[in-house]
Order: sequence, then structure tokens, then C-alpha cells
Amino acid sequence: MPEPVTASEQAKPPAAIPEEPKLSPAELKKKAKAEKQARRAVQKEQQGPPDTRPKGGQQKSQQPQQKQNKQASLDSKHHERPGSSQQSLPLRRRPSQSDATKEREQPKKGSKQVELFSHLYTQPRRHTIEGASKDIHPAVLALGFQMSSYEICGSSARCVAMLLAFKESIQAYTTPNNWALSRHLNSHYLSPQIDYLKSCRPISMSMGNAIRWLKNLIGKVDPNMPEQEAKDFLCGEIDRFVHERITISDQAIATTASAQIRKGAVLLTYGKSSIVEKTILQAYANGTEFRVVIVDARPLFEGKQLATSLMRAGIEVEYLPFSGITHAVKQASLVLLGAHAMLSNGRLQSRVGTASIALAAHEEHIPVIVCCESVKFSDRVTLDSIVMNEVAPSEELFLPARVEAHAENQASNQEISKGGDDANGGAVRSLRDWKDIAGLQILNLMYDVTPAEYIRMVICEYGSVPPSSVPVVHRLANEGM
Amino acid sequence: MPATTIPQTPSLSTYLKSLKHNDIETSIELFISLLKRRQIKNSRPCAIATTHLLLHVVAAERIRDASKLIQHVRDVGRRLVAAQPREMAVGNIVRRVLGVIREVAEEDQDAAGGTPLSPPTPLTPVPGETLQRPPLPTKMSEFSPLHGAAALPQDLLATAASSTQDWQSEDAAQRPLLPGSSTSYAGQPPSVTSLFSILQQPAGRSPFATPPTASQSPLIKPVPQTHDDEVKEKLDIKAEVINGIQELQDELDVVDTQIAESALDHIHSNEIILTHTSSQTVQRFLATAARKRKFTVVHAEAYPNDHEATHATIVNGGKKGSGEDEEGGDERWKPLTSMGITVILIPDSAVFALMSRINKVIMAPHTVLANGSLLAAAGAATIAQAAKHHRVPVVVLSGVYKLSPVYPFATDDLIEYGDPSKVVGFEEGEFMEKVDVVNPIYDWVDSELVDLYITNLGGCAPSFLYRIVADHYRVEDIDLSAK
Repeated sequence: MPEPVTASEQAKPPAAIPEEPKLSPAELKKKAKAEKQARRAVQKEQQGPPDTRPKGGQQKSQQPQQKQNKQASLDSKHHERPGSSQQSLPLRRRPSQSDATKEREQPKKGSKQVELFSHLYTQPRRHTIEGASKDIHPAVLALGFQMSSYEICGSSARCVAMLLAFKESIQAYTTPNNWALSRHLNSHYLSPQIDYLKSCRPISMSMGNAIRWLKNLIGKVDPNMPEQEAKDFLCGEIDRFVHERITISDQAIATTASAQIRKGAVLLTYGKSSIVEKTILQAYANGTEFRVVIVDARPLFEGKQLATSLMRAGIEVEYLPFSGITHAVKQASLVLLGAHAMLSNGRLQSRVGTASIALAAHEEHIPVIVCCESVKFSDRVTLDSIVMNEVAPSEELFLPARVEAHAENQASNQEISKGGDDANGGAVRSLRDWKDIAGLQILNLMYDVTPAEYIRMVICEYGSVPPSSVPVVHRLANEGM
Repeated sequence: MPATTIPQTPSLSTYLKSLKHNDIETSIELFISLLKRRQIKNSRPCAIATTHLLLHVVAAERIRDASKLIQHVRDVGRRLVAAQPREMAVGNIVRRVLGVIREVAEEDQDAAGGTPLSPPTPLTPVPGETLQRPPLPTKMSEFSPLHGAAALPQDLLATAASSTQDWQSEDAAQRPLLPGSSTSYAGQPPSVTSLFSILQQPAGRSPFATPPTASQSPLIKPVPQTHDDEVKEKLDIKAEVINGIQELQDELDVVDTQIAESALDHIHSNEIILTHTSSQTVQRFLATAARKRKFTVVHAEAYPNDHEATHATIVNGGKKGSGEDEEGGDERWKPLTSMGITVILIPDSAVFALMSRINKVIMAPHTVLANGSLLAAAGAATIAQAAKHHRVPVVVLSGVYKLSPVYPFATDDLIEYGDPSKVVGFEEGEFMEKVDVVNPIYDWVDSELVDLYITNLGGCAPSFLYRIVADHYRVEDIDLSAK
């Protein structure tokens, strides 16, 4: 992006040369100053968010600058050249920041990133061990891949798996000489592990809470404690955390929530949440007669797993694609939703599509209940689903090869029957060619945010609370206040 | 089976080809079976096939009398509607054709200097008339005869029932109905028989795969002709009617273009527009706007029933990949992306997340009902609700041919359920066996969720649609099942 700008800057001044002699030295100084400011403004703009349509945006910003350029002297131009290169170069030269240059170059190639969400495309998900720090414990390495491939999926599951992996890695840790465990473990050992996990998939709210708790705990370890003892202490605490905050919490929530399922109820749920699954199974074990309607969506089809497990348990299950929401809501008497996180303004962040379910249920006056452990409560607030979200690889939205081949056959048949007279030469493309199609973007969001007014009740281990009480519970549970 | 005449998979194009060499009754039966097997589906193919079929029906008829023609077309229409009641475009087209015939007949009568034979459009609702409204069935499950139409504040059943007699009986009965006089109509047998036929129609007629071709429709009683003197005029009627039907065909051809003409009135630069499914109308509309303005399109894919076609439309542009629409010979048009438009494909689930940044939602309906509500591909209601929540205007693009004079009373019955294997494949035996997999094809969207309709006649509010309905369909024809 900088090239066209500097080129145009260089191109303009020669045209302005004839004007130059008229200017007095004082004026020259003034112009040079103005010029410098303009340059800075341009530079700033360049470093701003990447623009998908560089032409339109930049031409406009150059308009005022061109006027100044016309009157600019040759001297100022000489100043300008090294200046501009100086300002743009450092970004490229920093060897540690190869990612930064990559990011800067990405908008150039047809921009496959949706502009609204450009802040979410940090780096592509890691699927290889390549480039991972050698300090990273194998258990964490393995966990990273399991997360990036959705093998371990779901906020609580990821949190538990992470803590267990950390337990192993803490056991494998030895404090270097001259360091206290409490000083070294956090910043030099645990942080790279966390960064690695982040590079596999952005961490969830529950993981964040657990990490904060763990770091806090490590920081408080008595420096005089023998290393092995300290490590055992930490592992014991982690076990306790998992047990208290997740295992027991789940049981408590399932007990409370299953009491909400009355005889003859038609329970609507979306995707798959482990806590909802537990609730349903518990209600079924209690002998309640009810029916479950599961709505599911591309691309993860998590609801199918839930449907399978409920069906095997013997529960009557109805399964609908996302397009069948209205149909599902019509029969439902209760909506149970899982959570990725409960935000402090009472909004629910959960698998993308949850908000539509909650909205439809709200419109039909069906109670929407969220089951959520307090470890997923967060102090963050957000109004829309755009600022805080996760963008998954677009490739996940491709259809399975079998289906696509079929579609392609159909398409090519049609092409033949048409005589192939169109200009594209029968180049029937599929979605897999999306990188070659300029202007086509595929957006695969992970979460959306459900407004608090659609949520009737949040069931956590502290009891059933309205969404407005989320910050209170969060302070109680996660900040110990 | 007539299917032996078709070498390839039957579709709209093969059907239109077969029309040329099949006789009328075969064609009707073929169309009925194609409708039943969903080999012709969606509004536009249905509408096109219906116009072509009716054109042949009218052309083949050796008309003596307009009333007989009306009766015959009505009869054919009734069979078609019964074959696939949810494709309301079929019924709409039949009504339009009937309207054409009636209009031509009236003009003819006027020209012949005779007294106007039929009551000139008793459109004005008379308060007393509502008493005569026949009792509505509680459920619309056998809704094919379009019971809902009876809710129009008009004396349609009485008129429709007696209209056929009007053509032949003496002039005294032809006078416009007076509020008082209609009371006597209500007690007359015709309306009673019409109610019987409502229930009997779908079951009674359609199962016959091959009805006797010799006597074309045995149910029609040969009507004694009273106007047998003006043979020359009648031939003229036929030509006029065929002209009218051809006009209808032309309308179907240009409907997308006409709708697209108003694109620039509704899309401004830098808008973010959300659409759903692979509608030709919407694509054409957006493409027209794209020639002048740059905007962004967010395209929800309508999984699982239309996502493949949606992908194909986004990637390749032009016609749907389903092969349904290849007839008509119009050109493939380029995908929006090649016109410099950014197209963002999203799964349906992401609609709510994105809605806060969307400027407009543009949808294409399957059918528009007279009160401004509509049937559209499943998922549309969710999108419309999300749009309502975010106060995003919902614009519906619909040709007049999709406009049905039906008032929705039991919307559940309008929804069709499709192939569950599109959701979960049958190879997952255990799952399919134990889990109830449901795949609704349509969604009903209430009129209050829609902000604007754009038809080929221009834009209008949902509350105004009933007027367009009244302009396009003759009251007598609204209930096709009436004798």
C-alpha cells in the first residue's frame, strides 16, 4: 500500500517546479511544515485499519495533499523521501513481526476478509507444530490441535482440558536457578503455553477466567516452599478448581434446571451444550416425560451429537435444520440454551444462531433459560456480535465433497445441454474456488450475542438469577468479592 | 403413462416441448403428475407451465360460447390446483386467464350491443352480504380450493356459483345484484354444492391418472347454447383470449426486468444488503443496481434446501443449477462479484449477528397472500424477525403472478415439508430411525414484518396488496372450486 502513495508524491512535484522561485524562504518554511504534517496524516492513515478498496479511499485522502504538493519545493521533497521511507520501513524490518507484514499484505490480494470483522482475523489457526516454542509441553501441544480441529469443543470442555494439560506441564516444570517459582512459572513457562493455545484457537471466556485464577494462585505461592511441594500444591488446587467450579457446578445446575422441565414439556435447544445435555438426561432419569426438539446449523452440526446421545438414552428427539426455527418454536414450551459466556450486561454469548432461537422463542412467549457455570461469567460487556467474536476458517463452510461433486455434475450437464455458448467457456466454478473470485467472501462466525431481554433466567450454581444479576455473580465467583 | 414421451428427467423445459405434440388431456395429466412429483416446482416454472398449458387448452377448444370456455378452463384449473395446492402460482395464473376470458366476453357483449350479461364486477362490499358468507371450514387442511378467499367481503360465492348460469339464462337474472336480492341467492343450491365440492374435490378428481380422453371432462354438462348466432364473434373471442394469455406470458418473461427497474430507487451506495436463497428476481434486482452503485451483499445460504443453488448463483451467477429455469432462453447473467460487488456468504445462523450492520433485507417470496403476509423459503421468518428486532427494513420482490387472493387463516397448513435426507442422510440409519428429522420448506412471514413490496407494477405497502389482488382477479374466479 505505501508504494502508490509515494509514487504519486514523487510524480507531482516536478509539475510544480515552475512555481517554486516565487516563494520566499519564509513561505518555503511554512510550506515545508504543512507538507510534513500532511505526510504524517497520510502515514497515519496507512497504518490505520486496512482498507479493502484502497483506490477509492486513498484517492480522496490525497485530494488536499495534492494541492500542497503543487506548491512544495524541491528541498522539501528531498526531505520527504528519506522521511517517508524511514517511517514505513521499520514495520517491515522487524524480524520478530513477520505476522505484521503478512497482515499488511493480506488486503492486497483481493481481500478475503470481511471488512467489518477485520479485527478478528488475527492469524490463521495453527494446525501444525511448526514454529511452536520448544518449551511447550507435549500435552499442551496435543491439546492445541484438538482445539483447532474442534475435537475438544465447548467452553467448559476446553477449560477443563486446558487445566489438565497445565497440570501435566507444571509437573514437568523445573524452576531455573536464582528464580522463584512464583516469579518464573507464570511469565516464562505458562505464558508461552497459553500463547500457543491462543494460536490454535482463540481462548474462551472460561479459559480466561481459569488462567487468571491460576496465575493469581501461582503468584501467591510461598517462595520458600520446596519446588515439588509447590507443584503438588498447584496441581491439587487445579483439581479442586475443576471439581468445584465445573463438575459439581454442572451437577447443581443440572439438578436445578431439570426441575424446570415439567411433564409433557417440549424442550427446544440449539446445537450442543454439555450442561444442557446433562440437564436433559437428568430430567429423563427423574422420570419426567418430555420431548426434545433440537435445532442445528452448519458447519459444526453439534446438535447432531446431542441428538445421537439423547436418542441412545431413549428420549424422543426431533431434529431440525436451522431454517426450521419457526416450526420448532411453535411446538416448544421451554428453551434451554448453553453458553459460551455470560457478559456483564446480561447478554449471552453463545454459538452463532443462538440469538435467533432466543428471539423466535421470545416472540412466541416461550421462556428462554440459559444454563451456565459461573466460570463462564465475564466482566466484559458488548452490545453486538461484531466486536467480540471469533472467525473460523471459511473453508469449513464448504459442502462435503460428495454433495459438491453431485452439484457440479448437474451444473456441467446443464452446461452441455446449453451448448456451452457463454463467454466463461463453461467454467462452472464451485465454492471451493472462492479465493479466485474477486469480491467473494465467506464468513464463518463462531458466536453471536443474545440480547438480555430475550433471556428469562440464567441458571448457575449459585441459583437461578435474571440476566441483570450476571455481574454480581461474576464478582462473587470469579473475583471473590 | 405420458412420461414415456420424455426421454430425460422431466422438467419445465421438457414439459414445454412435450406440449407441442401431446394432446390436451395428456398434457394436463402430465402437468398434474409433474406437479405432484415436484418435478415442476417454485412459482415461476409453475406459472410458465400453466400459461403454456392454458394457451393450448384455449387454442384447442372449439368454442361456441365464452361461458363454456370459462367452465372448461376453470375445470382444468381446479384439477391443477388440486394436484399441488401449495403452488399457488398455478391457481393465480388460472384466475388471470379466467379474468382475461371474462373481460373479452364482456367486451364482446358490449360490442354486440346486447345487454351486459354478467353483473359488472360487484366489488363493493355490502354490509348485509357478510351474513351470506358460507361457513368456513375450521381447518385449511384441504385448502386447495382456497377457502380463505371466501373471507373477501364480497358476494363471491353466490356470484361465482351462479355466474355460469348467468351466461345462458334470460336477461332478467343478469342485472347487478341488489343487496336485498342476494339473500335469495344464499339459499340456492349452487352455494351448497360448492361447499360439497370443496371437500370432495381433491380426493375425487386427481387420482385418476388417465381420465377418458374421448369425453374430455365428463363432469361438465354440455350447456345449452343460447348465443349460437354470433359464430364470427366467438372466433374473435378465442383470438382475443389467446392474445391475452400471450400477454400474460410476456409479463412472466419481463417481470424480473420490470422489478429490477426500480432497483436504483431503493439501493444507495455503500449499502449492506442481506438476501436469502438463490432467487432470480433478487439477483436481477441487485445486478441492475450494481451497474450504477457499489454496495455489499450478504447472502445467507438457505441450508438445507437451496444452499447448493445459492452457492452456484453466487459463484457462477445466472441461472439456478437446478435446471428448472433454463427454459425461457434468457441469457445467463454474470455473478454479482464480477460487477465489483462484494458478496459475503454466511450460514443462516449468522444472520442475527450481522443484522445490526445490515441496511436492507431483500427477500423473494414463494407466494404472497392477500393480506401482505408471504410464504418464502424456510429461514425467511427468522431473518425477518431479526430484521424487525434491529429495525432493518425488509423489502420483498414479487411479481404479480405470485400474488394470491388467499387470506391466511391456518398458516401451518401452508407450510410444506421436504426431504429429510437433505438434513441427515439416510446412510445414518440409526439416527434416521429414532430421531424425527423434519425439514420445512417454507416459512410464513407475517405482513407486519414486511416493510415494502416491490412488484412489477411498482412499490407498495403490504397493507395495499389487497387492492392489487382486487385489480387482478375477478371476484367470480377467486374460489376456483365453486361450480
